[in-house]
Amino acid sequence: MLKNYLLVAYRNLLRHKGFSFINIAGLALGLTACLLIGLFVHDELQFDQFVPDGSRIYRVYTQQTTTETPESHASVSPMFATTLKQEFPEVEQTMRILMTGASLNLLQAGEKKIYVEDGLIADSTFFGIFQLPFKYGSPTGALDGTSSVVLAEEVARNFFGDVNPVGKELKINSTTVVVKGVLQSGLDKFHLKINYIIPLAAAQLPQQRMSNWGWQQFYTYVKLKPGADVRQTQAKLRDYLTQKVQPTLSENDKLTSVPYLQPLHEVHLYSSSFKYDSSVKGNITYVKALGVIAGFILLIACFNFVNLATAKSMQRAKEVGIRKTIGASQQQLMLQFLSETVLLTLVSVVLAAVLTSLLLPVLNDFTGKKMAFDLLRNPALLGLLAVLTLVVGLVAGFYPALVLSSFQPVKVLKSAVVTDGIFGRVQWLRHGLIVVQFALSVFLIVCAFVVFQQVSYLHNKDLGFNRDQIMFFPMRGENMNKQYETFKNELRQVPGVVAASIGYGFPGDQVAGDGLIVPTNGEKKEYPTTQLMVDYDYIKTLGLQLVAGRDFSKELTTDKDHAFILNETAVREFGLGTPQQALGKTVQWPVWNDKNPDSLKVGKIIGVVKDFHYKSLYDRLEPAVLQIFPGAYWKVAVKLKGTDVGSAVEGVKQVWTKFSPENPIEYRFLDDNFDEMYKAEDKLKSLLWVFTGVAIFVGCLGLFGLATYAAERRKKEIGIRKVLGADVSSIVALLSKEFMVLVVVAAVIAFPLAWLAMSRWLQDFAYRIDMPLWAFGVAGLLAAAVAFLTVSYQAIKAATANPINNMRVN
Amino acid sequence: MLQINHLEKIYRTEEVQTKALNNVSFTVQEGEFVAIMGPSGCGKSTLLNIIGLLDEPDGGTFTFAGTDVTHVTERRRAELRKTHIGFVFQSFNLIEELTVAENVELPLIYLGVGATERKEKVQRVLEKMQIMHRRNHFPQQLSGGQQQRVAVARAVVNSPRLILADEPTGNLDSSNGNEVMELLTELNEAGTTIVMVTHSEHDARYAHRVVRLLDGQVVLENVRV
Repeated sequence: MLKNYLLVAYRNLLRHKGFSFINIAGLALGLTACLLIGLFVHDELQFDQFVPDGSRIYRVYTQQTTTETPESHASVSPMFATTLKQEFPEVEQTMRILMTGASLNLLQAGEKKIYVEDGLIADSTFFGIFQLPFKYGSPTGALDGTSSVVLAEEVARNFFGDVNPVGKELKINSTTVVVKGVLQSGLDKFHLKINYIIPLAAAQLPQQRMSNWGWQQFYTYVKLKPGADVRQTQAKLRDYLTQKVQPTLSENDKLTSVPYLQPLHEVHLYSSSFKYDSSVKGNITYVKALGVIAGFILLIACFNFVNLATAKSMQRAKEVGIRKTIGASQQQLMLQFLSETVLLTLVSVVLAAVLTSLLLPVLNDFTGKKMAFDLLRNPALLGLLAVLTLVVGLVAGFYPALVLSSFQPVKVLKSAVVTDGIFGRVQWLRHGLIVVQFALSVFLIVCAFVVFQQVSYLHNKDLGFNRDQIMFFPMRGENMNKQYETFKNELRQVPGVVAASIGYGFPGDQVAGDGLIVPTNGEKKEYPTTQLMVDYDYIKTLGLQLVAGRDFSKELTTDKDHAFILNETAVREFGLGTPQQALGKTVQWPVWNDKNPDSLKVGKIIGVVKDFHYKSLYDRLEPAVLQIFPGAYWKVAVKLKGTDVGSAVEGVKQVWTKFSPENPIEYRFLDDNFDEMYKAEDKLKSLLWVFTGVAIFVGCLGLFGLATYAAERRKKEIGIRKVLGADVSSIVALLSKEFMVLVVVAAVIAFPLAWLAMSRWLQDFAYRIDMPLWAFGVAGLLAAAVAFLTVSYQAIKAATANPINNMRVN
Repeated sequence: MLQINHLEKIYRTEEVQTKALNNVSFTVQEGEFVAIMGPSGCGKSTLLNIIGLLDEPDGGTFTFAGTDVTHVTERRRAELRKTHIGFVFQSFNLIEELTVAENVELPLIYLGVGATERKEKVQRVLEKMQIMHRRNHFPQQLSGGQQQRVAVARAVVNSPRLILADEPTGNLDSSNGNEVMELLTELNEAGTTIVMVTHSEHDARYAHRVVRLLDGQVVLENVRV
């Protein structure tokens, strides 16, 4: 019996090639999109799943209570680990990693010197928390002492080739360390990027700092004992802070945040808004959005099938009549039609699997992942495809099978062409499905436009400074740091260099925060303020605009120790009146100086700069202060002329080599820093375009098929109308109207949903575009235009055909 | 074999009621060959559909081989159709995606006959209908007469007790038409009961008797031709 079904199904596929193509191509494309997205989502969800005892590991983070909207910080005080270990019996182990920012360190073994980033400075308990697999050496005691290092396999191979390097020496900057172990490669699904790990003890941080609740410089992990309840531990920790810690702190040092214990498995996906977090971050919103889009596309492809199958049912009606007359039951016929759909789905799934293997390298390249789609080595994947075939086949095939198998032989066998009356009841369904398809497409188009607009805005918004052609690098080597003034002067002599500035706190790079003491209403109040440690050329190099007062001047000796420049936000938030009124007011800053913690730098406000964005546009502008403080200088920004950048860069390199011959230069351009911040959004934008395109294309395939059948069905009517004098355009309008109405309904449904979704997405950005109304108009028009083009091809064909032939249909 | 008493069938549209069959009564004996004649729209096909258990009457009773089948379930009707009734249509009604042999095999598949037996039966009937050489062709590759022979082969492959033929020669030229009528006569002589709807006086002559319908009523019966 099944053989007979499949035989008929196979011959049907061949006989109705156009129909089969539309269905198979649509389903295959839809399934490919789903498989690719599915692989991506699966990969994202796999983060940290391989870590043994992962369900007992938590990361400590804090949520600020003083900020307008709650702000989560991944780096916390070193005291959390100490307290959790000492005071909480349910804690098995704690571990801290020092937050160092994205800095490059020069590693050297023998003659080989390479800059390496992503080095961790961690407690020796690191491998007690994260039991990572070792290739060489053993995790036990690997981070003991002050001169050990554990290397990633790739780094080890770079320096030592394929031999076991355990016991060999390596220099990090100028410190000599001994290799204690090598991690196995393939840690790409771990939330920490590791090139090497050195013990925290090597950093020799002063005890006074390590017992400070205000120094939030550590990523902290806790492993609980089996059976411990994390909610209780979290509650107890908060109680401990309020009852035991807060009373011991001075008024200025009081804690302004609440601690949370974040499950390890959530670190990767649920920390996208965290500040001071250097882990490899995903974004659960984007993962979910992609999942939804995959569902949309599959739905559109399934709807195509339902629509075409029911539209085409007129052609199958006779067969149903014959089979029933001969004695087939409705169940048998349903089974027949379902097996046809499953067969068709199977063909699509096979095609989709091939397409997926072909396209996966592109996706891997795009996402920087190493996803595999190896059916032979992964039986689970094969099983998944089988389930997918059955589910899609049954879902798409059920309704058409029900409709087809319920035909009455008496009605369908009599006439050569079955009248539309019998099929009227499926008309509403077909129309409903088209509306849903187009609503989904319009929704995606609007989203794509809005995301495109916002991303362009992120890249092109006037940041308040000139970010173009600024070469950027850290100073290296004792000589360069000591003679930074001479170094800067020589840089300025290089042809093609416009200006150069040395400091700490450049836009797009890390910035420091500290309190600034401002007299308000006779009281001294300390405000958290971004500290930009600058030189006399900072404002000039970046092209900042002064709205009041003046720039720092070398000629005025007091500027070095007694002058501050604020940004507009600081003036406003400190209540200093207008920028003009703020000039001359006195502010104080507790100097970064370990020898005398109480020393204050007192000075006057000599200028106010127009607000400029030194962080990403996710972050609201904060009060910032510019001051001359050479003690913190370590980054260099060199502004180049627009013409002949190449030779200017060469010149800068030569000056570098003169001052620091032992270190190779590692530079980048400042605008790259900014572009990097929006990488996730850039990718979202590209993915949205691609998948929106797929969704529209698949939807149009279906619409094209339906238009074909609509034209077929109304052939006779068109013939009669033409004989009576209708022209081509009126017939095209007649046929297109039916579908255009549906597109309008779809747009009406999609617009508010897209508005809601996009408003929520835009909320995440401190600086965002207004909802672009044109996106809705254009999306609607685009959908209508695509639908019209698709339908009108068939309409014109029908309208220009010889009416006499058309009228012979019955 | 067939007992039809006071049969009524009414077609309703929104505004008009049409009586397709009005108090129709007649019987068909086992082994008889009966022709039903009458002008277009007189209710011939409606009557044949009810006899073939494809349609239900609105009044009266219908007894098939001693059993009252006026209002039995669709499942039971399908069961009776596939075991006892063979159909031959004016427009042949072959499934275009199936070959000659596969079309003939279909009723046996629905009856649950084993593969070997199916093969034998199909071969036997195709030989009998002299269409064996065309067994692997598709319907659209055959002439009208050949197609109708296939349709007859399909109707008789499971040896039904009753064959219902709805204008079996309507789409054929006279020589092909005669061939099909000869086939039906042979089957009837072998014991199969045949009820045939026809417009053609010529074809009706093959039958033992003719039932004439007009406006849904039997106007003449038992006329031996």
